[in-house]
Amino acid sequence: MAKNRQTMSRALQRREDIAGYLFMLPSLIFFLGFVVIPMFVCIGYSLTDATMHQQQTATQFVGFSNFAKLFQDKTFLEALRNTFVIVIVSVPTVCAFSLWVSSAIYKLSGPVLSAFRCIFYLPVVTGSVAVTVVWKWMFDNYTGIINTALKGIGVIDKNINFLGDSKWALWCIILILFTTSVGQPIVLYVSALGNVDQGLVEAAKVDGATDFQVFWKIKWAQMMPTTLYILVITTINSFQCFALIQLLTSGGSGTNTVMYHIYYMAFKLTEQAGHFGYANAMGVVLAIFIGILSALQFRLAKEK
Amino acid sequence: MKNIRKALALMLALCMAVSLFACSGGGGTAESTPPATEPAEQQSEAQPTDGGDEPSGGMAKSITLWTYPIGKWGNEEEVLKMTSAFTEATGIEVKVEYLAYTDGDDKVNSALSSGNAPDLIMEGPERLVANWGANGHMVDLSDLFDSTDMDEINAVNEGVMKACTHTSGAIYEYPLVMTAHCMAINKNAFEAAGALEYVDLEKHTWTTENFIKAVEALYAEYGDTVGAVYCKGQGGDQGTRALVNNMYGGTFTNAEHTAYTWDDPLNVEALEQLRGMDGIAFDASLEGGDEIAKFYQGVLKMAFCWNIAQQLDPNSAHGDPGKTVTGDDIVFMAFPSKDGTAKLQGGIWGFGIFDSKDAGRIAAAKEFIKFMCDSEHTADAVKTANYFAVRTKAGGADLSNIWADNEIMAEYNVLMPMLGDYYQVTTNWAQARTSWWNMLQKVGEGADVAESVAQYAKEASGG
Repeated sequence: MAKNRQTMSRALQRREDIAGYLFMLPSLIFFLGFVVIPMFVCIGYSLTDATMHQQQTATQFVGFSNFAKLFQDKTFLEALRNTFVIVIVSVPTVCAFSLWVSSAIYKLSGPVLSAFRCIFYLPVVTGSVAVTVVWKWMFDNYTGIINTALKGIGVIDKNINFLGDSKWALWCIILILFTTSVGQPIVLYVSALGNVDQGLVEAAKVDGATDFQVFWKIKWAQMMPTTLYILVITTINSFQCFALIQLLTSGGSGTNTVMYHIYYMAFKLTEQAGHFGYANAMGVVLAIFIGILSALQFRLAKEK
Repeated sequence: MKNIRKALALMLALCMAVSLFACSGGGGTAESTPPATEPAEQQSEAQPTDGGDEPSGGMAKSITLWTYPIGKWGNEEEVLKMTSAFTEATGIEVKVEYLAYTDGDDKVNSALSSGNAPDLIMEGPERLVANWGANGHMVDLSDLFDSTDMDEINAVNEGVMKACTHTSGAIYEYPLVMTAHCMAINKNAFEAAGALEYVDLEKHTWTTENFIKAVEALYAEYGDTVGAVYCKGQGGDQGTRALVNNMYGGTFTNAEHTAYTWDDPLNVEALEQLRGMDGIAFDASLEGGDEIAKFYQGVLKMAFCWNIAQQLDPNSAHGDPGKTVTGDDIVFMAFPSKDGTAKLQGGIWGFGIFDSKDAGRIAAAKEFIKFMCDSEHTADAVKTANYFAVRTKAGGADLSNIWADNEIMAEYNVLMPMLGDYYQVTTNWAQARTSWWNMLQKVGEGADVAESVAQYAKEASGG
């Protein structure tokens, strides 16, 4: 009897497993087809001198020479530096700002909270092209509203070429990236703050904990998974900053990033021998950096 | 209930899997999806390689054409008139896709990489000959030319066929139209600043000395930037090259088109002069198209990115020909030079055929080229482009007077004898264009001109 029941239970389990795998199958196919396989193809190509003119020149295996070349390529190193500046400035700023805003609004009444959520989330759901075009108008060197306003209140005498001057352009990109990046973290933090165990908060207060101690010892600790997610997502988004650069500066004025340089190398400089292989090598290096930083963030969060 | 759920799950999985395979196409075969078109032109979206239908008399029944916005060859309504006439005459259907200059190259390069290139492409020798032709993607069109064709083209300008011919002797572009790129001034602004005396309005020329005086006068009047050496990217870079080269007679490449020579001291002198001028700004936030827009709005008083198509339809805004948005008169001008005789950068546009290895499709594409470039329909094809014909006659029809009814076109003819060397076919052209605007940005930021010019000229040459 017991054996019979065990057999039935196994059959039931198998059926459920199969159903589960079938449900996963569509996304698994997409994941394999559009993420895993291209990833290995990319790694493979990074070790070759592949070009788009393969009918003229056969692809050759070149080992790690693309990677060796990368670290002597001034343009790539400049792009890497700019990318790191964007990540280093934007990730902590986005996290800190969204935490601050969330702390200020999460206790507000329903409609007001929703209104704030909408305001901060609007740039996220608006197409990046539309957002960029509006910012381009505002930063315009001749008729932009920012120059007009600054001149109007006497801060500047001559217009500032925000997007055409390397002293300003990268910071403008970071500012725009910031406005499009804070929406999701704010929504997540509001939700995480709402889920903090109030019993613990009250107990701490009864024990004489200050507001800062309550935040640091209880709320912050309980929000750690959310913070980790935000850190990782913001880091990846910052590393992969592309549309803003393409639409606003085309990589000029000191705003070239690795992501934009990959695109430029692969699809613009098509005369260069081995341009696909070289661009793929950049992609691999970028992925390694993102992987290292994400792992570091996981490690730190775990220790915390 | 469980069975229904299981069946539903299976169906869902199958649907998703099938749709995935449908999306991924057949490995670069006939059904692959082409790159997206510009939004306004999506109605006539074309499949790039579906021309391999049943051949009729050795020719495919359907071919594809990708065209850049060359005058009204970027306008679906106008192009449809031309392709309909071709279909009516030959029975071959033409599916057209419209490319933009901002990302057209990317789309073509992606299509080439995945084996989905169109049959025909309309653009200039810098792409068709120096890039795609040199890399083995194009069909040699030599068999489409006889001595009469050559004579008719050479009678207009001998440089045209030279530009369309690769160093190997293969002809990768069948030319249709040409123009001289120039610059433009806001006549009303010049008048207000008392600078009209510095330009020869009849010959549309001026000297470098007078250009400098005119900018000084304009700056005194407006107190702000009046002309921008735009350098955000490569868009419209022929204007900045022509400006710098003409001011003191510098060159961009050698006569053989084998090396970049823009480290010429005469170019250094021009760049130093431009950088030192109040009223002229090296602007890394503008490309050629942006500069035209600022000029059209009346913000800038001169534009270095101009040609007859702009003169006829400034800023492509469908406003009044030869007028800014505020109604000021636009005068096209040759670039300033020491003695007032500029060498203008030419623009040549025509058709090339991507090598699909399908004789039927290649034959049909050649039929299309002969129809547009060497038949009684050529006059319409030329007029659709808003430029000048590259030949005196086509299919026996005289082309020399097709613009006689258009005053602006007739007047613009004064610039055509100033056409200079077509050097855009020099090897490493894409890198050279990139190096040029990067160099302008550095110069604009205050870097040493001679050093920057030498560094980027070397980079252009692959150094």
